[in-house]
Amino acid sequence: MTASTQAIPAGTDPRRPPGDLAIWIFILAELGVFAVFFAAYAFTRMNHVELFNQYQQHLDRRAALINTLALITSSYFVVRAVAAIREDNPRHCVNWLLAAVSMGLVFVVVKLGEYHHHFVVEGVNLSTNTFYMFYISLTFFHFMHVIMGMVILSAVAVMAKKGKYSAREHTGVETGASYWHMVDLVWLILFPLVYVMR
Amino acid sequence: MSGKKTTLGLRPCTWVYLFLMTFTFVTFLVGQMGLSGLTVSLLILLLALIKGELVGYYFMGLGRVKGLWHWPVFIWLFIPGILIGTAFYLAS
Repeated sequence: MTASTQAIPAGTDPRRPPGDLAIWIFILAELGVFAVFFAAYAFTRMNHVELFNQYQQHLDRRAALINTLALITSSYFVVRAVAAIREDNPRHCVNWLLAAVSMGLVFVVVKLGEYHHHFVVEGVNLSTNTFYMFYISLTFFHFMHVIMGMVILSAVAVMAKKGKYSAREHTGVETGASYWHMVDLVWLILFPLVYVMR
Repeated sequence: MSGKKTTLGLRPCTWVYLFLMTFTFVTFLVGQMGLSGLTVSLLILLLALIKGELVGYYFMGLGRVKGLWHWPVFIWLFIPGILIGTAFYLAS
């Protein structure tokens, strides 16, 4: 093997983002879709300002706050998980990952409570009005990403528990972490846009 | 970003986490106070974009990456940021 083809330990090539390059292509595609969603929400709102402002008040901002804090905290836990494996401490890596998944679970439970209130108690659906169409589409699309992220982080935790990752090889941990941060990143724009800005 | 170098005993990622939590509470309080209008909306949007950049730069680790891959999150935040800001400006 020549010097140019020798394996580079994960996270040491300064020209490559952390994790598998394929996940970054996927992340960029997902971010592109959410960007279109956000722009569509904002430009549709232009013609329905009063409707959007009125029904925005029906949303549970406290639940959204809890969910924002849960996602930020889970992202922080994932950062610590990556740090732990880089320090060759798989046991701590597993613990941080499980803590991150538990924060994801908080998000899911709170969001389901929110949906129960809107769908069952208020009888809202996609055709109720334009605001709720965007609210349901945007938040549910993001909700599915949270579920997928939790599955990915759980799988990474299982692999870490089995000793598949080390300080030298932990691309899988960084790949899962990058996806989870993307889920957090999208919510950081979604929360103020849908729940606060008016 | 997640290294052991500390400031006041905290890792850099912990400082970023505390900033993110603080900015989130500010955003929530603006909503609870019922503040509205173009200026408030644009400030809240700016706060969200800063939070996004902090996540991209520090949590995702793009701050350490050289070249093209340093920029995707910044560009992603910039484009929807401009579009959302323009839409709110036109609606005001």
